[in-house]
Amino acid sequence: MSTIVHAIDRRGALSLLAGGAALGVGRPSLGQGAAGRVIVVGGGFGGATAARYIRRLDPAVEVTLIEPAERFYTCPFSNLYLGGLRDFESLGHGFDALRRAGVSVVHATAEDVDTAGRTVRLSTGDTLPYDRLVLSPGIDIRWGALEGYDEAAAEKAPHAWKAGSQTKLLRAQLEAMEDGGLFVLVAPANPFRCPPGPYERISMVAHYLKTNKPHSKILVLDAKDQFSKQGLFTDAWAALYGDMIEWVGLSQDGKVVRVDADAREVETEFGNKHKAAVLNVVPPQQAGLIAERAGVTDDSGWVPVVPATFASAKVEHVYVVGDATIAAPMPKSGFCANTQAKVVAAAVVADLAGRAPPAPVWVNTCYSLIAPDYGISVAGVYRVMDGKIAEVEGSGGVSPREADAAFRKREADYGAGWYAAISADTWGA
Amino acid sequence: MSTANVAMQVGRTTRRAVLGGLSACVVAPGAMAGPAAWEGVPAVAALLAGVEPRRDGLALQLPALTEDGSSVNVTVVAESPMTADDHIATLHLFAPRNPSPEVAAFHLAPGLGRAEISTRIRLNESQTVIAVARTNKGEVRLAAREVTVTTTGCLVPSDQTTAGVMQEPRVRVGPSLPAEVRTIIDHPMETGLRQDSAGRPVPERIVREVIATAGETILLRAELFRSVAANPYLRFFVDGQAPVELQVTWVEDTGARVSATVQVPAA
Repeated sequence: MSTIVHAIDRRGALSLLAGGAALGVGRPSLGQGAAGRVIVVGGGFGGATAARYIRRLDPAVEVTLIEPAERFYTCPFSNLYLGGLRDFESLGHGFDALRRAGVSVVHATAEDVDTAGRTVRLSTGDTLPYDRLVLSPGIDIRWGALEGYDEAAAEKAPHAWKAGSQTKLLRAQLEAMEDGGLFVLVAPANPFRCPPGPYERISMVAHYLKTNKPHSKILVLDAKDQFSKQGLFTDAWAALYGDMIEWVGLSQDGKVVRVDADAREVETEFGNKHKAAVLNVVPPQQAGLIAERAGVTDDSGWVPVVPATFASAKVEHVYVVGDATIAAPMPKSGFCANTQAKVVAAAVVADLAGRAPPAPVWVNTCYSLIAPDYGISVAGVYRVMDGKIAEVEGSGGVSPREADAAFRKREADYGAGWYAAISADTWGA
Repeated sequence: MSTANVAMQVGRTTRRAVLGGLSACVVAPGAMAGPAAWEGVPAVAALLAGVEPRRDGLALQLPALTEDGSSVNVTVVAESPMTADDHIATLHLFAPRNPSPEVAAFHLAPGLGRAEISTRIRLNESQTVIAVARTNKGEVRLAAREVTVTTTGCLVPSDQTTAGVMQEPRVRVGPSLPAEVRTIIDHPMETGLRQDSAGRPVPERIVREVIATAGETILLRAELFRSVAANPYLRFFVDGQAPVELQVTWVEDTGARVSATVQVPAA
């Protein structure tokens, strides 16, 4: 397993970032504020990290963070709340530490961006100027891309793919479900936020049902034939939950083409209908809408970036991090957003000072919990090679297929430690 | 999002709307820098035989970005009345940067009612996928579409294989007309290019043909090559002018074949 290797590499990456900016070639002309004004849109793993690290790297830069929520609730570990292993408030993070770091936090929605005039218009009616803009917009749902699945349908068949009221709704439906009911999860084609997420969710729902409603069943209808850490998940499901979980992939007619949220029924492409007691639809996604408003998305609905800096490949003076970006082989994960944000912080500070950006290194680990004492992970270190983001050969890997209970328990503990550490790194203790 | 979902939705609109909607996906000739994307692709050049193709009347729909090159949805739509006098006779698909650039060739009869085919293909790397259509009168059209193929660190492909016998195919006919027909079969579509876990080469073994017939009439014959994804999938239309019993036959390179029969109701 690569956890230790990767922890070292992470430290290496950070020291590289911190020490990378050296050669000054004079500051370009900027607006008011000696070192420049940066607006960061989005207070999740990407945005909050970018805001803090820009201030850390150059306290002379004015940083304003735009985030509607006063507490940000994370998607990572929200499956543990669904499984009954965490309370909801433990997923929430406030912005006081960012304020203490000198970030001006504005609780509003960024509604539009004028990239020519370099301003952001807020839901409050205010228009704020920037020298550099960092977008960390996360995802939005492609409403209607899956027939029958719109915002009204999501109130009956929740997606719970953005943590908040949707997550609570899904938990309430699980609690109200009778023993012996069928939980159906509809999983999307790639790309989507958090590749192992649907399968961790299944695991956590299985844990809840096994503990509380053991006669219930779970059906996963998947628009893919393969998924993240598949062998590890399916081994564990069989060992821990027996025949409770059935997974149906694309070529076995797992692709859902129509949702009837009122009836909690879905139809697959070859006409099979499945009626659920609780229906959880993880729908097709795209970059958060502000990315489209800023003109940084392409045909795919996601954001192409310059690999070395995560500057927009399309619009000057705009940087984009996190799930919204096309960063593969880096997955759409909170850890990736955090590590990308550090690269962006260094690049923005260098850019404002008229220096070349430091060479980036990124790291990622996706932990998934299958039962309270059963964790698995996939990890990787990434660099720019031949102008593209590439995984450093031998840098990461997945948990071994053969491992004893103590090993799985340790990975569960590492996962909890990871969440505490990255939350502290992102939003402050 | 999945292309097939889009395809399903457009399947219920008019052909004009489909082509209008898809035209944004077609790379305009002027938009391509340097030589045309198909120049230097021998299989495409051989098919064109020196004829300059039309760049309209044919749309190629693929996701601009895919994180799984092992199965990529593709739809080809040609503008055509699909009558005996005026119809698309063949549609060819090419993935020039695959080990085998020729992906599939479809032979269409007027009874399909609509010149629209979907399948799932393999893409080895980012490239410009090319479709060529030829009408019964010999007119040639070409469409090209750039696709970025990435892999993600969270996706570790499994070494799954499918059972050694031809399985029963699935076939479904949609409720509206022209009738949308979808069919799929479990099959590994072994390329002959990979090794098993012991390092031995896995011999090529593919489904080479899919034939859809109504009585004596062949409505669609699809030649599949090894760039078609495992568990091959086809989606096409039948006009529904008269009720027919549609037989779909899958033929493996071993000569093994399996069929399924469905009823297509008339208008």
